[in-house]
Amino acid sequence: MRDVVIIGVGMTPFGRFLEKSPQDLGREAIWNAIEDANIPPKHIQVAYVGNAVGAQLNELKGTIGQHVLTSAGIDSIPVTNVENACSSASSALRLAVLEVASGNHDIALAVGVEKMYTGDTAKAAASMASGTPYAKFGFTFVAEYALNLRKWMRKCPAVKVEHFAKVVVKNSKNGSLNPYAQFKKPLSVEDVLNSRMIANPLTLYMCSGIGDGSAAAIVCSKKTARKYTSKPLIKVAACELISGTYTYPDEVHEACSSRAAKRAYEKAGIGPEDVNVAEVHDAMAPAELKLYEELGFCQEGESARMIDEGKTMINGTLPVNPSGGLAAKGHPVGATGLAQVAEIVWQLRGEAGNRQVSKPKVGLTQNQGGLVVGDNAACVVTILKR
Amino acid sequence: MGSQLNEGSQAGKKQVPVAEGLFYQPSSQDEKPYLIGSKCNVCGNLTFPKIPICPRCAKKDTMEEVHLSGKGEVESFTIVWSPLPGFKAPSVQSYIKLREGITIWSLMADCEPSEDALKIGMEVELVIGPVRQDTEGNEIISYQFRPVKDD
Repeated sequence: MRDVVIIGVGMTPFGRFLEKSPQDLGREAIWNAIEDANIPPKHIQVAYVGNAVGAQLNELKGTIGQHVLTSAGIDSIPVTNVENACSSASSALRLAVLEVASGNHDIALAVGVEKMYTGDTAKAAASMASGTPYAKFGFTFVAEYALNLRKWMRKCPAVKVEHFAKVVVKNSKNGSLNPYAQFKKPLSVEDVLNSRMIANPLTLYMCSGIGDGSAAAIVCSKKTARKYTSKPLIKVAACELISGTYTYPDEVHEACSSRAAKRAYEKAGIGPEDVNVAEVHDAMAPAELKLYEELGFCQEGESARMIDEGKTMINGTLPVNPSGGLAAKGHPVGATGLAQVAEIVWQLRGEAGNRQVSKPKVGLTQNQGGLVVGDNAACVVTILKR
Repeated sequence: MGSQLNEGSQAGKKQVPVAEGLFYQPSSQDEKPYLIGSKCNVCGNLTFPKIPICPRCAKKDTMEEVHLSGKGEVESFTIVWSPLPGFKAPSVQSYIKLREGITIWSLMADCEPSEDALKIGMEVELVIGPVRQDTEGNEIISYQFRPVKDD
């Protein structure tokens, strides 16, 4: 396999844009990536486009990738649509990376696009639940997170709801520094705990909202990259996708994210201690704490201390979600994975402005989606190196 | 086999199971409801709902239908204040650890939606009942769990 680098990333601001179509959003992100890579658009040879709930919420019901790309001026090349719930965009990236790593193509585009806001947030929540067998029972993803977090809190008595609130405080502050973020208001612990209850113990500000957006990345063989860009090349050291596993009553179940991370660390030849900055899937912000442990950023039971000591703040030893994470930056589900990647690329290049982490060399993204047999349907962990 | 379509007790209102093959609804007082699961006759793996192939053995024709007791305890719970369209709020959703050892997702019935009324480890039992109405006014019924009364 050949070395693959990211030469361009781009995204739209995340937010509620009633007047914008998926094509409008996708085109903006793609052209931002094209300009960032300094590449003639016709040099892109293959594309993968992630989208999760378009068929349920948008007028356009299929082949969204081809529609987005032609609207961006790119036709005729092979385009594949990728649906893996909230991990659709990182799944699209993985396929683009494999195209280049295998030598099949030199330059590939990965896009994630989601248009969720139609004026009806309940409909958007229902569209996400419809990927699970329990939607008809009243299942929601907020409730699913709440059930898992309560179960986990019982195992880790050090974790209190105040720690959940502290994650939101950190991420809302980061989001306030991010021009792409949907929610820019810095919140206090009191704001978070006093906001409306959504599913005990999760309050409104702990949960990601409904929004629209798109993000894109252009990947390239290391050999070809210097034809286009003089910016630092960001190597894709790993981009590992796994699916959920059955939970056997007589076996200890290992979380999807933990299994994906182990594979990614092995592929990249690094350990969690080598990671300098991370973007993780905090669709409900408290899940970030659980992910510290599952990704190996701390020992089991140490996550509460990690947030108490400020280790994951922008100026901490391992900044997590400097973009604001899903709850502050926004979570247009099929775009999220590539927005995480865009943030890490900016961080590694030193282009992250007010939210810049101090000189990171290795960054990680973790993006998960869906629910199958009581586990996440899919999880992607990507490791990028400057 | 599987769940049955029953006429509801209230005239004109039909009861429709939320999905086929998940549970058995008693047709008389003498019967008890049960959940329909499956068990692998090679490794003993137990599942709910019923699945066609054991994911551990990955061989054809090893899964057999079993009836689950419907007794268990609450492993986790949440009170949902922002429901999907058609569902009432607040409502209680839970993970139930069945006596047979597996954990399943379920709605809770007959319990107050408050932190004080719910406890991890509390004993629960299976009950079949309405979870919402469809657009024609039919009652959609599902398996649910309710607290076991002390007396």
